[in-house]
Amino acid sequence: MFDIAFNTFDEIINMKGHGIYVWLVYSISILIIVLSFTITRMRIKNICKRININNASG
Amino acid sequence: MYPYLLFIGITTLMIGWIWGVLYAPEDFQQGNSYRIIFLHVPASIFAQTIYYFMSICALMHIVWRVKLAAYLIKSAAPIGAMITFIALFSGSIWGIPTWGTWWQWDARITSTLILFIMYLGILTLHGSFSNLEKADRLMSILVIVGVVNLPIIKKSVDWWSTLHQPASISTSGSSIDPSMLMPLLISIVGLGFTLISLGILSSRLYILNREKNKKWVLEHV
Amino acid sequence: MLRLIRTESFKLSRKLKSWLGPQLILVLVLIAFPLSIDISQYDLDKFYFSIIVISLMMTAFISTEGMFEEDFEDGSLEQEFLLEQDFYKIVLSKMLIYVFFIGIPIALIGSLFLITNGADFDDLPKVFSILCLSNILLFNLFSFGNALSIDKGAMLGVLTSLPLALPVIILLGRAVRTIQYGEGFFSIIILMSGISLIVLAIMPIVISAALKTHID
Repeated sequence: MFDIAFNTFDEIINMKGHGIYVWLVYSISILIIVLSFTITRMRIKNICKRININNASG
Repeated sequence: MYPYLLFIGITTLMIGWIWGVLYAPEDFQQGNSYRIIFLHVPASIFAQTIYYFMSICALMHIVWRVKLAAYLIKSAAPIGAMITFIALFSGSIWGIPTWGTWWQWDARITSTLILFIMYLGILTLHGSFSNLEKADRLMSILVIVGVVNLPIIKKSVDWWSTLHQPASISTSGSSIDPSMLMPLLISIVGLGFTLISLGILSSRLYILNREKNKKWVLEHV
Repeated sequence: MLRLIRTESFKLSRKLKSWLGPQLILVLVLIAFPLSIDISQYDLDKFYFSIIVISLMMTAFISTEGMFEEDFEDGSLEQEFLLEQDFYKIVLSKMLIYVFFIGIPIALIGSLFLITNGADFDDLPKVFSILCLSNILLFNLFSFGNALSIDKGAMLGVLTSLPLALPVIILLGRAVRTIQYGEGFFSIIILMSGISLIVLAIMPIVISAALKTHID
């Protein structure tokens, strides 16, 4: 169960012709998830900054 | 709590994905393209789970007027839309080597597309109203009515003849080998924790935005 | 309730474009579609029912578009609510009138067009009953979408109600197969009748909740 299914790094990338599909799906999905976290965290920081500015001025 | 959940989620997800993509044996029919299953199936499961969660929150908002429940719906809807898109996208790409087509108008795929449109409809409906309390209530009503669509998605594979394979995991057991099933289950758990932590972050953002003029927010920030 | 039905039928009968317009649009689409594609009658007969179903869906949407909007804008919806203290009766009477004035005629038009395009004349009652029941479902679902987006335009109504209507279309596709193959019709008509009754009973409550939210 824990033997790696591929022999070389090229085989991992190529996956007998299916590598393009597998890696495309995983890379875009990981990108979407990472972007979601990043954007949400950025927006929280921005809103906290805005609240602090309003608090300080008001 | 959020950092711990995120850590558990990402670690579990990476274990599941690395195990599945690199260590699980090749499928004798689909070759290596089946490895998309470790993303596609968890995404499909959570696309529906998030909607069920939203419908419970909608019920709480309608019946008991719990304000937080409406905030949770509004925070969960974009995450649901995102994960449904990932499910559709991964399924389409998987379809190319498996079925020779990236899209098929069969019951399950069409029903998942309908679910995606429903998420977009919920977000659009809420965004159309300047009165946010009214928007919350209408959104909750729409979510509850839309929940009838979910059993149709779940059962569609059984009700109609379809190109899509039957459910890999069900209450009566699984049709896939344990060497593939284990990383799949781990991926499901990992994605679940990851989405919960994203949900916590998203609801934090929405609550801060909605309640920004309240005293407790000023003190908290 | 009778008062409401009389009022709604009077209101709809005065608005010619609201009830006649959708029927004319349906006729136009059903005539124009075969003209726009250059295929044999035999091939056309095979999928003409699908054209009718989609045209019916569009017609149902167009008919229910302004169902509550005018009454909401001129305040008569609020007045009726204050009189009746119950939106359910108002919505149910509107629904029954719209189904009677628009839903049944367009089901009949669709059935007749189907007979002229290859279906057996003996299948006319079956087709008509299926189209009537589907109109009840579609009218309820689209008026729900319109109740949610009462003054926000048709686009929002489509986005919210179309995903709910698509499973009805899938069910209709199954229904037409039973007519074509001659078996299983009874079970599908029972299923559609049951669903229509449930939707007709429950949907006005949901629509009332949406309308009440707008008025509050």
